[in-house]
Parts: sequence; C-alpha cells; structure tokens
Amino acid sequence: MKSRTLTGIPASPGFGVAPALVLRSPEAADLRRIAPEEAEGELERLRGALARARQELAQALVELAELGEHEARDMVEVELMVLEDPASFAAFAERIRGEQLSAEGAIQAVSAPYTERYSAHTDPRFRDRALDVAAAFRAVLNHLQRRELPSFERLQEPVVIVARDLAPHETIRFEAHRQRIVAIATEGGGRTSHSAILARTFGIPCVVGAAGLMAEVQSGDWLVVDGFSGTVELRPSAQALERRRRRLRLLTSHRERLAELRDLPCVTRDGRRVELSANIELPVEVEHVLLSGARGIGLYRTEFFYLDRPHLPTEEEQLEAYETVARRIHPESVIVRTMDLGGDKVASYLGATKEANPFLGWRGIRFALNHPGMFRTQLRAIYRAGVHGNLKMMFPMVTTYAELEQALGLCAEVRAELAREGLAHDPALPIGMMVETPSAVWSADHMARRVAFFSVGSNDLIQYTLAIDRGNERIAHLYEPLEPAILRSVDHAVRAGRTAGIWTGVCGEMAGDPRVAVLLVGLDVEELSVSPFDVPRLKSAVRAVDDAHARAVAQACLEMRSAAEVRAYLARELDPLLPRDLLGEAEPGEENREAAAAAGESDEEGVA
Amino acid sequence: MGDAGALTVREATLVIRNQQGMHARACQVFVRTASRFRSKIIVGRDDLEVDGKSILGVLMLAAEPGAEIHVRTEGVDEAEALEAMRQIVEDKFGEE
Repeated sequence: MKSRTLTGIPASPGFGVAPALVLRSPEAADLRRIAPEEAEGELERLRGALARARQELAQALVELAELGEHEARDMVEVELMVLEDPASFAAFAERIRGEQLSAEGAIQAVSAPYTERYSAHTDPRFRDRALDVAAAFRAVLNHLQRRELPSFERLQEPVVIVARDLAPHETIRFEAHRQRIVAIATEGGGRTSHSAILARTFGIPCVVGAAGLMAEVQSGDWLVVDGFSGTVELRPSAQALERRRRRLRLLTSHRERLAELRDLPCVTRDGRRVELSANIELPVEVEHVLLSGARGIGLYRTEFFYLDRPHLPTEEEQLEAYETVARRIHPESVIVRTMDLGGDKVASYLGATKEANPFLGWRGIRFALNHPGMFRTQLRAIYRAGVHGNLKMMFPMVTTYAELEQALGLCAEVRAELAREGLAHDPALPIGMMVETPSAVWSADHMARRVAFFSVGSNDLIQYTLAIDRGNERIAHLYEPLEPAILRSVDHAVRAGRTAGIWTGVCGEMAGDPRVAVLLVGLDVEELSVSPFDVPRLKSAVRAVDDAHARAVAQACLEMRSAAEVRAYLARELDPLLPRDLLGEAEPGEENREAAAAAGESDEEGVA
Repeated sequence: MGDAGALTVREATLVIRNQQGMHARACQVFVRTASRFRSKIIVGRDDLEVDGKSILGVLMLAAEPGAEIHVRTEGVDEAEALEAMRQIVEDKFGEE
C-alpha cells in the first residue's frame, strides 16, 4: 500500500517510529434481537461487565490521584458515577426486557442520545466532551465483549497506539509501558483533551485529530508520528523511514549516556562549575529531572494550574504541588516562575479576550498585577511551600522598574500577612526576575539591585529583540538565537548582574544546543536550565571544554556581524572538542530554529 | 421566577452562570447536592425533564453557560431542597 501523510494536531512533542497497534472500539457491536427467555442471561452478562468496568475505573482513579491529575480524575469519577447510577442499570434492563435488545444493543441504545446531543452542541466545549460522556458506556462494552485493552505486559516490540479516541482511564494504562509505547495517534480529540494532557505528562509523543486514521491504518503498518508538527506518516518509504530513524537516534542518543553522566558534576575541564538545571511544568516531571542528572529545577512553569480547566487553583492545591516538587528536589533548588498568562496562554474564564497582538499585550507580570487576588493566592502558596529552604521564585516578562517594585511590594504584603496569620513560610525566599524584554536588558543595572538573580528567557528575548513572531511561517526562519544582538543582550544583562553581585541563568531553548550552551558559559552565565531531555548532552559538552577557551570564544562572537559568522566560527572552534554523537548533523542553532517553528505552529493552534 | 408554585410543588428557573457550563464536574456537584434531600428533584431544560439525583439524567441536560434550567422539588424537604439547588447553581458549582 502507498505511503501517505495525515495531518492532525500536535498534542505531545517528540517522534515515534514503530508499527501500529490499532485499538478498535466495539462499534460494530452485536445489535441482534434476543428471544424473551434470553433476557435474564443478558442482564447477568451486563451485571458482570458493569462490575469489571467499575473496577477498572476505580483503579484508574487511584493512579490518576497519585499522579496529581485532578481534572482527569474528576472526569473518571463522573464516569464511575454513571456506572453506579441505578438509573443506568434500569435503562439497560428496560431495553433488554422491553425491546429485546442484546446487552450490547442496550448499551448502544442508551448511550447514543448522549453522543448525539453532545456532538451537535452549539458550544464547542461541549462538543469536545462528547467522548468523555461516552467513555463510561464504552468501558462496559469493552468488558462485555471481553475486549479489554491489550495486555501491554506481553508487548515485546515497540508500538504506536492508534485509536479513534482514548479516554483518560484508557490512557493511564500506557504509563507503565511507556518504554514500548513510542507514540499515540488518534482520529478524534483536541489538544486540550484529557488524554493529550496525559500523553504530555508521560512524555509519549502524540498527535490527535488525524482525520482518516482509522480507515487507513491496520495493525502492523509502520507509522512515523511527529508530535512536533502533528503529522502521521503511514507506511513511509524505506528512505523516509531511515531519515526519521536517524533523527530519532539523535534525539534519543542521550539515553545511553544517562547512566555514565548522571552522577558526574557539570564542570569545565579546568574546574569551573556550571549549574545545570531542568525546566518542568508538572510535578510528575520531577522523575525525569532526577533521572537526567540535573542539579535542580531552573524553571517550574505554573500556567498549567490555570489553563485547560474550569476553575482557579486554590492556595492549598498550589501549595501541595510546589511543596511536593521542593521536597523531591531537596537539597537542590527549585525556581518557581509565577503565572505567565496572556499571550497565547489564555483561559476564557480569566476574562482575557483575543488581542490583535497578544505577545505585545496583556501578559506576564502585567496580567498578574492586574489580577492581584489571583496573584496573591499564588504568592502565598509559594512562600508557604518554601519551608524546606530550597524554593525561589521569579517574575515573568518584566519590562519596567515600576512593575518590579509593584510585584515586590505585593510579596512584602504577603509575607506580613502570613506572619500575622502564624502560617509557616520562608520569609527569606529569594526573588529573581526573567530578563526577556529589551527594556529589562537596558534597565538591568537598576533591576539587579532589587532581585537575587536574573534568568534570561531566550525564547521571548529573541522574539522581542529581533521583532520576529515565531508563529509566522514566512519569517520563522529569521528567529535566530545566534544573532549578535542577542548575544550582546545576554552579555549586557550578565555584566549588570555581576556589578550588583547577582548571578544570571538562561532558561530558554537556546541553552539546549550544546555549542550555544558553551558560548553562554563563556558569557559568564552561571546556570543553564533546559528540558530534562537536553541535560545529559549539555553536561558532556560543558565537561569537554575549558572555561578560558569558552570565554575567548564568547568574546570573539560578541564582535561578529552576523549569525552565520557566529555559527561557522562555533562549528570550527568547538566541534573538534565536543563528542560527535552529541552534535548530530544539525548546524549550531538549527535545532533551535526547528523547535521554534514547531512551537510556532502549536502556538497558533492554541490561539485558533 | 416561579418559585411560589401550586400547592406542594416548588419550582424555580435558574440561569447557568459558571464559565464552563454544566460539564461533568458541575453535574457531579449538582447530583451530590440533590441526593442529600428526600424530595423528588426534577430538572428541566427546554422540553427535556430528568431526575436531578441521577448523573445519567443531569448529563443529558448539557447546559452551557447562559442556559436556563427549571428545577422542581416535591416532598417533605422541598423548600430546603429548592433553596440548596438554587444556591449551588448561583455559586457556580463552587468553581469561581
């Protein structure tokens, strides 16, 4: 059969190349009429299936609770309520006894009106939830036909899971088998469906909404799932497969090095220590951080608490999450970034509306200062979670000194409030700020006197400095971390920080490229914070160079006129030193741009 | 509002005000609240009427933000029941 590519929605980043394992839902169920004397037997079968489905959901509930996946847990709780509702059994019994339907037929007859009503709903959020409502019924159907999910324990080879839709209670079962489940592709679903969120949590690449998938794919067909761009390649040609595999090897080469690198310090050959930390979004990602050999967490994003959910997070809920992360990482440090909402990250209930220029709009610290109630709740949770002494916080998107003052003022009020209430907290919790706007770079000397550290957010700094919208395909290629203007901005911020006696880190994608990381070390950046995935290769890059050499390279780059010049120079100077398999075939900075283009696409998706 | 209904029936028309409407979790809160009372609690939307104590029933309402639902209570604690249901809808199911 011919190869072809289906386009869906990128839901969880990464590549997966493997044969498909297609999970067919029992749609073509047994709809036959039964004889009246068969009714009691059918009811008995149904009781058994209901009991097993309840057991499965109850198990999923426990696992989701352990993972801290509150929303998915709420969803499964409702499914369980549906199956425990006496009205459900009564409705099934009525169809079986009264209409002589088989147990399968009865379930379909009862569930069809829900699917119809939700799929035809005028509110898109209700349309998105059509699957959730049907999930409970489907669980019973599966058990009725003993068509339980395949036993993954027996899976020997890697597979790509293909399904029409996946309910949270189904996706949760992949967690224990993520070694062999290399990707997930579904025909239905959206980026914000619970299963997409879980796939991201588990680090399994995932594409959703790939129309035509179920009709085109048979179990055993080779698939290439690209969770960056949202495509699924069916039965790729041998060359295409080889190309993808090569890319995949590059992306996974760090895994083999994990064991040897994890416990080694991140120091240059001449003994300068560089703090290598990881970026996370969810508490469960702490496990990846610990495995990666990172020292601490340099960027703990907190937007997750506010997006994809119907209500604001409580202080207790946040406290629990921050405290869990701080405790697991102790004694290393954790930097919590306060809410960075707005831009492309908006939740309708926050009252944000579509803006013509969201990245120049109501976002970051501006948004937080405009929502003092919500912001205070978060600050209280952070201070209270700081009792282990290893928590820090930083503000995003600061542009003016006045904003910084105002945010610091709120912090002082919150500290006083907590002291008055007698609640345990860390009154000396260090406060830093992100340097990600040109104005912050140029006011860095003033700002440095008010904070404990700087963290350069390279993604935004590049976008604002170069006036490039990363989401705009026509200009995405101009998004260029190696542009001398960017390097000079970083240099300026680091020096301003030094003069005031504070340190500077970099926490954007830019730092994830080994050659660029060496350059940043040469610019006197003290901490690099990257995705746990990039940690091992950065560590081995830093360990391969001398501090004095890195500084000389950086000084030379600051004087260059173009990114191309910097790139060629870095390759010439550093490639002979760096372990070959770390670099792959990409030019310095190239991966950043690819990732940026991919991020741009998904950003657009989020706004649409 | 028609909450001074005939004889032993009490009813009220309520508007869904929370941002997500009566999605799964809101339905759960609604049903758990209704189940605390002995009275019969009937919820209607357009020409559909369901049992307010049954999640299966309440999910069928699919009431989005701005939708109107009609709640009718009948039984020994009907006044308290109606008041509680009004409260839970007005409190946006405890979400905001």
